[in-house]
Amino acid sequence: MDPLGKFDGTYASDDLRQAIQFLRSKCSNFRPRVGIILGSGLGDLGQSIQSVATISYGEIPGFPVAHVSGHAGRLIMGRLAGTDVVALQGRCHFYEGWEGPQAALPVRTVLELGVELLILSNASGGVNPRFHSGQIVLIDSHIDGMFRPGHPNRLLESQLLESEPNVVGRHLVSYDRCWIDRAQRTAQKLGFSLPTGTYWATLGPNYETRAEYRMFRNLGADMVGMSTVPEANIAFERGIDVLAFSIVTNVANSDVASVTDHADVLNWSARAKTQLLPLVQELLSEYFQSDL
Amino acid sequence: MLDLYDKIQEACASIRKTWDRKPHAGIILGTGLGPLVEKIDVQAAIDYSEIPHFLKSTATSHRGRLVCGELGGVPVIAMEGRFHMYEGYSLQQITLPVRIMRAMGASLLMVSNACGGMNPNHRAGDIMMIEDHINLMGDNPLIGINDDRLGPRFPDMSEPYDHFLIEEGLRVARKHDIRAHQGVFVAVAGPNLETRAEYRFLRLIGADVVGMSTVPEVIVATHCGLRTVGFSVITDMCLPDALEAADVQKIIAIANDAAPRLSTMVTGVLEADVSRTR
Repeated sequence: MDPLGKFDGTYASDDLRQAIQFLRSKCSNFRPRVGIILGSGLGDLGQSIQSVATISYGEIPGFPVAHVSGHAGRLIMGRLAGTDVVALQGRCHFYEGWEGPQAALPVRTVLELGVELLILSNASGGVNPRFHSGQIVLIDSHIDGMFRPGHPNRLLESQLLESEPNVVGRHLVSYDRCWIDRAQRTAQKLGFSLPTGTYWATLGPNYETRAEYRMFRNLGADMVGMSTVPEANIAFERGIDVLAFSIVTNVANSDVASVTDHADVLNWSARAKTQLLPLVQELLSEYFQSDL
Repeated sequence: MLDLYDKIQEACASIRKTWDRKPHAGIILGTGLGPLVEKIDVQAAIDYSEIPHFLKSTATSHRGRLVCGELGGVPVIAMEGRFHMYEGYSLQQITLPVRIMRAMGASLLMVSNACGGMNPNHRAGDIMMIEDHINLMGDNPLIGINDDRLGPRFPDMSEPYDHFLIEEGLRVARKHDIRAHQGVFVAVAGPNLETRAEYRFLRLIGADVVGMSTVPEVIVATHCGLRTVGFSVITDMCLPDALEAADVQKIIAIANDAAPRLSTMVTGVLEADVSRTR
């Protein structure tokens, strides 16, 4: 598979159509209401899903195969807290060389299955000194510092799928305020606070220099990471609500050199999952199960 | 990135046919800083075109040969002429020589560049030891499937420039009465120089100098485990509210004028590194 797929709207749309057809053939009557993308160290959340079908990316036409450690590369359809969900375990990052349509395909597929809410999670470096390692922060805004085009030819795709484009041009880019409130209330009920913050997305894969951390802080970022923004943008464009959790795995002090290690990142995100998993389950059972 | 390993081996094998020694350091010479080569006791000079997988150097005043020999009695390989993103090359191609230097046995990378100064305390002709950098090139040389033989997937960048060697560089400068500083280098893709608004922005985000190179090489050096020291020669002042039009001839003249001072500092830092690691 060529990881550097060139931009070609037709190709992306065919891939999307094929992926959807494939998944429909696997479980024809399954209609997930929530999509979940599991980031670094959060792949375990997938184990709590009562799986109806678990399909590795390699089987789905056009899907990229994830390489980063801690990312398994599977699509799970099943039930979590009484709600039908579809989860992506393993995301394709730009730093792996995926671009454009191919990188976007898994999240587009999830959205195309008809979800009403997309839940995103990631591990991030803390830029705001008030945060601490292991803390969960809700993303309420982001800065796209990835220097990469998201995905091309969105209008063509909408036409091919015979659905209306949600908004052409300047669509609303915002993390859903209502879901932020709900998540904060639910977290309070579970006994922890859930601050909000601005997420700066970098291309990666190297961790940031101290000078870069200083820049992120000065320009208004609270966390920095290498994912989530492309996925959120696709959901915004489709008009689908987004709820995004960021697990702060280390708080950078730009005045002191301290080493960031991928093992630490995985370790902290694994610890935070003891809060994030109940939170997501509680949210689903409160806001989806009840209105069945 | 999976094709890099074999390319590195092939390039090394080719270089070793002409010069079969283990360099202590690899040196990359920036715009106008070629005269440093005169200080090297040259044992072999290989045209880039003769080394497999090496690119062609197209930038002004970059010669395009790999010089192997001794600097102050220490074995080094120096790139006389570097590659830039603005020449249309990918960052992975640009940085291949750094990996080749590592594979030849070097443990230290010494990079130099000509840059624009935005810190009003600096002057054209001053030399800045790079203390830290900001990557605003919009790209990264490590993109692709990582080859664990070459380095880790997520390299730490908390201290890409060797602190000890920064101190040594400044010590050598004081001793020889060279105006030198330490500060933050921001890399942009170029090739146009920046607008006044951009200089103001780059200064605001914390940079002291701006250039179109070095950062890709340093990211790769960190990835493959080389200690790194960086020298920025400030060849023109870029103060947004008192900006003069850039004059390439003048910039190269200032770089050439600074080259002997740079040589002194490079040689001194190299000596310090050798005596530290001996």
